[in-house]
Amino acid sequence: MKAFTQLKSFEGRGSMEGWLTRIATNTCLNLIRSAKRRPESTVSDLTDDENKWLDAQLSDVAGEPRHSVEQTLIAADLADRVLNVLSPEDQMALLMMDGEDASVKEVAEATGWSESKVKVRAFRARKKVREAMEKLLGPRKGGAVGNEG
Amino acid sequence: MKDEHIIKILDGAPLSRLSVEQLELVRSHSRNCVSCATAYRAFSVSSTVIKERAQVVVEPTPFFQTKVLAALRERQSLENVPVFSRLWKSAGALVASMAVTTAVLAGLSFMVPPAVAPAADQTASAYSAESLLLDQGSEDQMSYEQVLSTIYADDEAK
Repeated sequence: MKAFTQLKSFEGRGSMEGWLTRIATNTCLNLIRSAKRRPESTVSDLTDDENKWLDAQLSDVAGEPRHSVEQTLIAADLADRVLNVLSPEDQMALLMMDGEDASVKEVAEATGWSESKVKVRAFRARKKVREAMEKLLGPRKGGAVGNEG
Repeated sequence: MKDEHIIKILDGAPLSRLSVEQLELVRSHSRNCVSCATAYRAFSVSSTVIKERAQVVVEPTPFFQTKVLAALRERQSLENVPVFSRLWKSAGALVASMAVTTAVLAGLSFMVPPAVAPAADQTASAYSAESLLLDQGSEDQMSYEQVLSTIYADDEAK
């Protein structure tokens, strides 16, 4: 709809695909911005299903996700909880790179950011999400545990 | 190897893009380091949830098409309306109120007589009379040559 109404503004300098991607990216970014940010979740905020999903994930040796619709939705809710600690721009960068396997160049083209900016945002986002997940996992058992190195 | 190095590897790239060597390095280090093991565990789980999050397809509401078509129709109808009427719609109230205010002020300035200040009026007339007299005098004044010729004529007569 936006692309259709803004068709006059397309100057034909770049590719149509790039122009459409940019519109979609900006629209998504605005949607994330307009979504009300919740405070960072703690272990006590997790539902039973989410706790079970995390336990199952940690006990799963292969680490393969379960691909039922329900499990995917629980995982998506958990993702929303941890992504909530990020700014909309960082969320976008992380979802595109780690969620959709987009390259740094592709994210840079879609967002209009420089490649170094994409790298910095993704690095920072990964760090924050990992730290938020560490808090959510808390004292759960699972994975490799050894001596302090 | 320092813990920081392992964590930098984890934060530097998505799990799917870590090389076999990097993964082996992380795993071997995590076996002997509690903090790195915790970080790696959290990193693996967060990578999984983000992957799953990306797979969720958001279905538009059943009214999406209706809404889009309505928005299109509204936009088209707006484009058909002349510019002036669109301007009038937005600024009509302001312009009308300004016009009414101007008309009221103009009416008041014609209807209400101006207040007279007597002293100032007298002064003004005095000045006008004086200037009138002076003006009249200036017209009757003789020229310099006339004055000289009159004086010389008097002297010669003597």
